[in-house]
This record gives sequence, C-alpha cells and structure tokens, in this order.
Amino acid sequence: MCNACGFPTRPGHWTDAGADNAGDRLRLQMRRAQILNRLLNSYGLSARPPGHGPGFALSSFTGRTALLPDLEAVWEEAARQIGAPIDPLAPRFTAAPAAPQ
Amino acid sequence: MTTQTDDGRLRLTILGGYLGSGKTTWLRHQLFEGHFPAAHILVNEAALTPVDDTLLAAQAASMTLLVGGCACCTGKEDLIAALRALCDTRSRQSAKARGSNHIILETSGLADPAAILTAIQSDGVLVHHIRAVQTIVLVDALHAVKQLHSEHLSRAQIEAADRIILTKVDTVTDPTLAAVKSTVKQLNPGAKIEAAAKGLAVCLPNLPEAKAYALPLLSDGTAPILPTRIEIPPDVDWATFSVWLSALLYARGDDLVRVKGVFDTPAGPLLLQAVRKSVQPPERLPTADHDHRNQIVFIGRGYESEDLRNSLAYFRGKSSATI
Repeated sequence: MCNACGFPTRPGHWTDAGADNAGDRLRLQMRRAQILNRLLNSYGLSARPPGHGPGFALSSFTGRTALLPDLEAVWEEAARQIGAPIDPLAPRFTAAPAAPQ
Repeated sequence: MTTQTDDGRLRLTILGGYLGSGKTTWLRHQLFEGHFPAAHILVNEAALTPVDDTLLAAQAASMTLLVGGCACCTGKEDLIAALRALCDTRSRQSAKARGSNHIILETSGLADPAAILTAIQSDGVLVHHIRAVQTIVLVDALHAVKQLHSEHLSRAQIEAADRIILTKVDTVTDPTLAAVKSTVKQLNPGAKIEAAAKGLAVCLPNLPEAKAYALPLLSDGTAPILPTRIEIPPDVDWATFSVWLSALLYARGDDLVRVKGVFDTPAGPLLLQAVRKSVQPPERLPTADHDHRNQIVFIGRGYESEDLRNSLAYFRGKSSATI
C-alpha cells in the first residue's frame, strides 16, 4: 500500500486483471480514463489517472476532485454526485445511432 | 487475479438448495463415495436445533456447525467468523500438517448462495484466503414446480448455480422431469444439469421434449430471465469492455443474474464470472483454448437484448449496426 495515499486499500478488484506488466497497466489506465471521459464529460465530470498509482481522480466541473481506487468506486462517486447511477442501458446510450467521438 | 494452479487459497464449494431439496443426503453420499476427500464441512442451519450434523458426522473429516441464523442474512457474521477461524488455523499450520484445502458449505434451505458469495468477496481477509470454486444447487424434482411458482428464493438459488442437481428423480415421471429440467434450464441456461436419487448420481434418461412451465410474475415484480449472448467485436478492447461492464454491474447488478464468458486481454484470455453485483476474481485460461473466445453471456431481466449491444456500441464510439 502507498503510505502517501493509502491506495490500493483493497487489492484485487476484478478490473485489475488483464494486465501483467507495468506498461500494460499504465496503458490500460490511460485508455480507461479516455473511455470514462467520453461518458462522464456530458455529466460535468472528468476522470484521469491520479499519477501515482492505480485508480482514477474524478473531478467535477467545480474542480472538486476525489481519488478513487477502482472503476466501481468511480461509478459510486459519480452516482453520488449526479444523484443517480449512470446506467449504460438508459435510452441516451442505447437509442443513440452513433456516439460522439 | 487467479490462475488454475494452486495459489495457496482454500477452495470453497457452496452447496445450496431449497428447504428439503436433499442437500444433506446428497452430500453424505458424496462423502461416502470419497468425492470430497478430507474436505472441511461447514453446515449452516437456520433453526436453533441442528439435525444435519449428526447425519454427516460419520462421513466428514472435520466439521463446523453454524446454527440459529441463515448464513446469507442473520447468520452472516457467524459464517465470516467461522471461515476466518478456518483460514487462521490453516495459516498457523506447517505445509505438511495441512490437510485438504477444500471447504464445503452446506447452506440452510433459506439461503441465497449469491449473497454468501458476495459476503465472502467483500470481506478484506477472506478474499485473500478463500476462492469460491463452485456453487452447486439442488432442486427437488418432486416439489420444484410448486416452489418455483410461489417462491422467489427458489428461483434465485437456481439462478446463482454453476451446477444444478435435480434430486428425487426416481419419484417423478419422465414427462414431469423433462418439464422441470426445461424450466430450470430456462432460469439458468449456463449451468450444468445433473440428476440424483437418494444421493446417488443418476444419468438423465433421454427425456421427451418438454415445454418449460410458465412461471408467474411474483409479487416483487421480477420479470422473466432472458439470456443474451454477445459476440464482442474485435475492436472492443479489454479497457472498453471493463469500463462498460463495471458500469453495467453497478447500475443493473441486481437485474443481471449471471454474466459469464471469456475475454482476451493483454495478459491472456480471462474467464469472467459474475453473479449479480459480485464478480469473481477473473481466472486466466491457457492461451491455446480458443473456444468461445470473446463471447459473453448475459442472463438477466429488465432490458432488451438489443439494448446491451447498442450500449456497448455507444461505449466503443461506433454505430450499433456493426455489432
């Protein structure tokens, strides 16, 4: 565990699987942040790698930032800030003929 | 992440099934036949007066009894404490003194195996010491129809299973058995279905084609289960898929009874398995295994199959027409 930030507090989130070496892990983290932003930006939120370990830094449009250990925590925090969970099966995601790039 | 080799963790098999489905009879016979050699047996009974332990005592190598509360709800803390004690004892033993690394948990007839699985995986200690390998659920072929019609719990138990064993098959006619089998198959298309009579494994005969019983909507408003298989397009990488699936499980975990499949990642193919909101640590498969790669089965309710495909298409930033 990192003494400065306390992460990862609970190692072994299922999304941590799939990358064996540091390069793959970093690449996966960057790519996930990119995909998260495609969704979160429309809610006034943005995610980025925190720069010192696993997880994401989730910022609201006011600049308030939360450090989160994994994707599940990101969805939880987003739901808390927005007031409802971001549902991938909501009409805005399932009815769109083409997604914004 | 786990691999198929021995990672030092205890293997946990959950044995569930509705009240009177024959869990103890089946387990006793399995132990008698030597199927779970030297496994530690945990027996949970919701009632305060235990009975099952006396039946099992003769066959079990070691046993712990949890009474007076169902392990998925009121007795959850007792279960966690008992499992922690087992892990603690094992970690104090030398490698030579350690017996079997297998634990079998016989749940009470009122337990939802998925809730137990979630409790174990969300415990900070147990998640590192115990790996749930299989959920076996027994279904009483004689009474299944009545139970499935009225009890949400009996449906939930079947939905959470990896392996389903139809018991008391010698007491029902072939057409009834065929209909029960179709109904169970409809509830959980991903599970392996076997049969037993008085604990003894029975080969399922060539059953006539039978329609599944039309199960009514229960008062809690649960819609029928719908299996959907999605072929993941080659341009959907693990990063996209894991972001999408984690969002889906967070928002719709209670509706998604089961998610199962193999996904190619930079570290090799991963076997993904989820029961409701609880995802098992993905297991890495040998790279030579090319079967069913990048096919994920979703079994759930409350959505259309097409919604899943359209939503994944949105996440990858493409039109859904290509999925």
